[in-house]
Amino acid sequence: MTNRRRDARVGPEQLLALIDNTSAVIYMRDLEGRYMLINEEYERLFNVTREDILGKKDHDLFPVEVADEFRANDLAAAASGGPVQFEEIAPGEDGPHTYLTIKFPLLGADGAPYAVCGISTDITDRKRAEQEVRLFNVKLEQRVRERTAELEASTKELDAFAYSVSHDLRAPLRSLHGFSQLLLEDYSEQLDETGIAHLRRLQVNASLMAQLLDDLLRLSKTTRVELRRQAIDLSAMAESILRDLAAEEPDRSVKLLVAPALSGDGDLHLVRLALQNLIANAWKFTAHRPTAEITIGSTVSDSQTVFFVRDNGAGFDPRFKNKLFEPFQRLHSASEFEGSGIGLAIVQRVILRHGGTIWAESVPGVGATFFFTLTSSDSLPAAKDNDAN
Amino acid sequence: MQTSDVLLVEDNPDDVTFTQRAFKKNNFDNRIIVAHDGPAAVDLLLPLAGTAPLQPLLVLLDINLPQMSGLDVLRRLRSNGQTKLIPIIMLTTSNDNRDVLASYESGANGFVRKPVAFDDFLHAVKSLGDFWLEVNEQVPLQDS
Repeated sequence: MTNRRRDARVGPEQLLALIDNTSAVIYMRDLEGRYMLINEEYERLFNVTREDILGKKDHDLFPVEVADEFRANDLAAAASGGPVQFEEIAPGEDGPHTYLTIKFPLLGADGAPYAVCGISTDITDRKRAEQEVRLFNVKLEQRVRERTAELEASTKELDAFAYSVSHDLRAPLRSLHGFSQLLLEDYSEQLDETGIAHLRRLQVNASLMAQLLDDLLRLSKTTRVELRRQAIDLSAMAESILRDLAAEEPDRSVKLLVAPALSGDGDLHLVRLALQNLIANAWKFTAHRPTAEITIGSTVSDSQTVFFVRDNGAGFDPRFKNKLFEPFQRLHSASEFEGSGIGLAIVQRVILRHGGTIWAESVPGVGATFFFTLTSSDSLPAAKDNDAN
Repeated sequence: MQTSDVLLVEDNPDDVTFTQRAFKKNNFDNRIIVAHDGPAAVDLLLPLAGTAPLQPLLVLLDINLPQMSGLDVLRRLRSNGQTKLIPIIMLTTSNDNRDVLASYESGANGFVRKPVAFDDFLHAVKSLGDFWLEVNEQVPLQDS
């Protein structure tokens, strides 16, 4: 169609070339709605020719609702005196297509409109994508609502369960322990040493189970309490925990190294609970060391502050390191080190609730190091990293 | 007439046995009157006209009771002029924060969780008795 000309003048042919070589649909109609001009894209899309369409109206080409809308928009553009933007829908081979249309009137010498030009760009794909995003968001919101409701329900259930555990399971234990005592007191003459020892074992185990129930409740509480973040001085916190431990066992000689100015961002109560458990563990597992050593510090890994608690205690078999954080998992016998095995499960839950990670390394007989972060690795790194060890 | 009686509101017969034993072992010779549920306790303290009310020195009140919970009993007693000043200690298995808070808010004078180990229980009862039955100044009787 286009002729190559060296002529610099722009005439009707050049303008026609311009409107024919575009992906937009371009057309011109008089005020009666009769077609005066269409471009090639129009011809292609609606399978008409420029010659055939002359003098026809949209009502000859499209279903009446579609034609009515085009006509109304034409008149609105003519009345406005300048360009107006519309979204229009026209039938296509694969169903309705949405067009972003600019319509503007052509004005005569008297300033009155005599025709309306339209340039329509097919935005069906964009609309479809928008619609999909909208639908996706609606679905997502729906799913979030459902999941929240489920979570609330299960939290309520857990609450009820915890309450029941604290009430209903403790009362029978008290009876076991108490009646063992009454037997010991009232029938001791009828019991030999073995009988008395058996009753004592009964009591020890009833107490142990009561402790386990308490631990279980503490564990469930760490999952349920609301998280309130604030800046925490972990050095001061570690030192106070160590002071308490040292006061409980003044005879132990433990070399304590707490790096200065360890600071983190977390829930004060929960982080203290975690640190308390980690340090108490280090304290416990260094009990058989003549020169026990506990170090609390931090390093930076991938621009993230990683805190650690290191001891030169009994350590654990690295083959079982996945089991470390499971509730009631114990990697040492009760005769060696006492405990219910709930401490590290609590620590892990606290760290996970902060979006952080926890892991441990150990060489059995040499010591163990527990590492943890208080933020997720994909969130922004803390404003200030404390690098110390 | 105020007596040196202690009213124990407790539905678990085992706990009744332990409490009685603990009193005896700690040499508190106060009479222990047992109400096995909430309505029974209310009937004793706020009887219908014509019956003399029980006027105990101390009420030990369990929370987890059938029919009427210990908290309901507590609120009922606190809302009546005749019983609003009686010392009431919650003696219960629960240590749920909500129960502790609700107890104090409803006018309990104390909250003691029953320990599982009997010697701990003995110790708790001794502390309770030492304070409420021996040391503490009793509510003066008011002229009626």
